[in-house]
Amino acid sequence: MEEKIVGEGVKFERIRRITGYLVGTLDRFNDAKYAEVNDRVKHQVSTGTGAGVFEKV
Amino acid sequence: MLESIVKRDGREVPFSIDKIATAIYRAAEATGGNNYEESLELASQVVNYIEQTGNTKPTVEEIQDAVEKVLIETGHARTAKKFILYRSDRSKFREMNTRLMKIYEGLTFTDAKENDIKRENANIDGDTAMGTMLKYGSEGAKQFNELYVLKPEHAKAHMEGDIHIHDLDFLTLTTTCCQIDLVKLFEGGFSTGHGYIREPNDIASYSSLACIALQSNQNDQHGGQSIPNFETAMAPGVRKTYRKLYVSNLSKGLELLCGYDDALEATKNLCKEVEATYKVSPILANDNGYQEKELELLVNKYKLPVEAVKRAQAFAIKKAAKEIDRKTFQAMEAFVHNLNTMHSRAGAQIPFSSINYGLDTSPEARLVIKNVLLATEAGMGNGETPIFPIHIFRIKDGINYNPGEPNYDLFKLACRVSAKRLFPNFSFMDSPFNLQYYKEGDYNTHVAYMGCRTRVMSNVYDPSREIVSGRGNLSFTSVNLPRLAIKAHGNVDVFFEDLDRKIDLIFDQLYDRFLIQGHRKVYNYPFLMGQGIWIDSEKLKPDDELMEVLKHGTLTLGFIGLAECLKALIGAHHGESVEARNMGLEIVSHMRSRCDMKAKETGLNFSLIATPAEGLSGRFVRMDKERYGVIPGVTDRPYYTNSFHVPVYYPISAFEKIKIEGPYHALTNGGHISYIEMDGDPSENLDAFEAVIRCMKENNMGYASINHPVDRDPVCGYTGIIGDVCPRCGRHDGEGISEEVLRRIKGYTKNLCSCDENPLEDADKIANPV
Ligand SMILES: [Zn+2]
Repeated sequence: MEEKIVGEGVKFERIRRITGYLVGTLDRFNDAKYAEVNDRVKHQVSTGTGAGVFEKV
Repeated sequence: MLESIVKRDGREVPFSIDKIATAIYRAAEATGGNNYEESLELASQVVNYIEQTGNTKPTVEEIQDAVEKVLIETGHARTAKKFILYRSDRSKFREMNTRLMKIYEGLTFTDAKENDIKRENANIDGDTAMGTMLKYGSEGAKQFNELYVLKPEHAKAHMEGDIHIHDLDFLTLTTTCCQIDLVKLFEGGFSTGHGYIREPNDIASYSSLACIALQSNQNDQHGGQSIPNFETAMAPGVRKTYRKLYVSNLSKGLELLCGYDDALEATKNLCKEVEATYKVSPILANDNGYQEKELELLVNKYKLPVEAVKRAQAFAIKKAAKEIDRKTFQAMEAFVHNLNTMHSRAGAQIPFSSINYGLDTSPEARLVIKNVLLATEAGMGNGETPIFPIHIFRIKDGINYNPGEPNYDLFKLACRVSAKRLFPNFSFMDSPFNLQYYKEGDYNTHVAYMGCRTRVMSNVYDPSREIVSGRGNLSFTSVNLPRLAIKAHGNVDVFFEDLDRKIDLIFDQLYDRFLIQGHRKVYNYPFLMGQGIWIDSEKLKPDDELMEVLKHGTLTLGFIGLAECLKALIGAHHGESVEARNMGLEIVSHMRSRCDMKAKETGLNFSLIATPAEGLSGRFVRMDKERYGVIPGVTDRPYYTNSFHVPVYYPISAFEKIKIEGPYHALTNGGHISYIEMDGDPSENLDAFEAVIRCMKENNMGYASINHPVDRDPVCGYTGIIGDVCPRCGRHDGEGISEEVLRRIKGYTKNLCSCDENPLEDADKIANPV
């Protein structure tokens, strides 16, 4: 019996927040915002420090 | 002998002396002349002149040059002047036509994928018929406003990228946004413009009318709509539904325990009798003595056995509490679903909506908060993350911030939902600039935010009305900070002088726009003004102008790219050095004090916003790169950094970023928001998530949120983080998988092609208790 394949061509959805609004697919971002999303780096949340406690800058 | 001429589009057409004569005659006519013979004579002089130059195929421009020359040389100065004017009008018109037609061509023949204008606003689908039609209108309106409505100096500054006039297409039409008081709107019912709607009677109608109100108002304004008091506005619906549920369950209890056939009508009348006699109703808190009075009546007047009545009441209380929870969940689920599927603005866009909640501690309001959060956590029909509304959870000491406070459980739930769905965002009522307005239990004094970050609270026009309801932003215009810094070549004094000139220009432009807006009439806004949504509009007649009531709104100066500005001005941005941090605060404080002074001077609410830059993030930098070349840290990326944010590419800890950005929230009274990008799936680390939110509050931010990736595989339904491969089903992006494997994963055997149910996702959707 031949194996049936499903889901071909179905893309993952990637929800991102752009200037306050959620957008369901990166295709709808304009070029500048697409670049901005790609450039984002994560902000480390130092563990072990309680709320409002952080290293001196 | 001239035989043909070359038109502007390159085509050659036969030469006609009559056409030249007609053009001259028209110009002469405008100065009072009416001699066609003379025009014809002048036209032949024009022909002679061209032939003398040896040109046998002149262009239209060359002919017009010759006409001007001949008219002036033959002493027809006034006609020449008219001709030149007519010519430049035509070329202005033609230039507009060409630019606009180029844009239309792009809109018509390219996909959104290849066309940046179509993706200017990510929530409008530029590929649909209505989406494209909206863009035609919008682009045409922008050019019309640039050429014919704006003062030339404002148009020039906008077109050259010194400033950006937001929503220029709506310049002559309407204002930005409004905070809608549903409590006031629902009292006694309202009209949508397409029919009258009665005061709602249960939580389901409260929630659907809330959607209708958002949608109706959205058609009258170009920005988003906000409900400042969501839980308080919905609570009466819960109260009404609870009463019904209590009565119907009591009737069932009485039927069973006291042997009635059909007790519903009798129980309804009983409830009314208790209410009329003792002024108490059945309520969720069950603490107003209703049951005692009801028992008294049933036993003494209707001679029912005490024990049976008590048992029936206990049954009714228990069942009604359970059912009201379910009904409220369903109403909130419908609310979220509606806002994500209902369309406004000609079908191309769902309403931009925000709801604020978190502070009302009544049992009814708490039920609303809990269930709107749970409905958002559950997601849409197939578990998709809802895009709207934007949720804003308000945090306040004594109400929901610390363990033991009445809504602390809801704060915890808000963190959990935001860690999964990106909403709610959080607003902080204890930050001094918000706390100064705060009065306990009076929602009109609780600062609200509109999704995009707009904040409207102070009121110099009428200091006795510093309230949220019925007010909003009128318009805003942003200054290109990085350009001012590039032009200053490191000279801070030059920078501030230039900044002041741009601020003056923007204030002048905002005021011009306000005058246009003020001359609009009530009938132009059938819902916003016609239904009294906007403050004091209920006192106006349909033909009245809006000038006075609009003065409660804000006229707002915005800015973008503080980071790049600092980089260009002193070589470092505010993430990098203390000097830059101080300079950044100095610049933004200066802009704020200019706004305050302007507000004082005019009695109008000039305010400062940290520009969200939806359509702007690439525009300024593109122009500046063209002018000044690639400047490292300034024009070397395709975007300028959002308002006062530390650049997204700059590595910095969450707590440091919050500490640096916090002070800007106090300065930007027209709106602000900060973001933290969290690594991994925050649902796995809710303590860290909450610690970040707490840090935001301790640093006196006004409004903030946490970003994290939310991915979903539509094939297997997994929601979470997906790298290259789906962690649940193992497929790559776009890859097919065996139906057999999928079936095993999903744990059910239904035919996949014929159903859209998804047991796994449905399981995710069951409401979890707080
Ligand atoms: Zn999967």
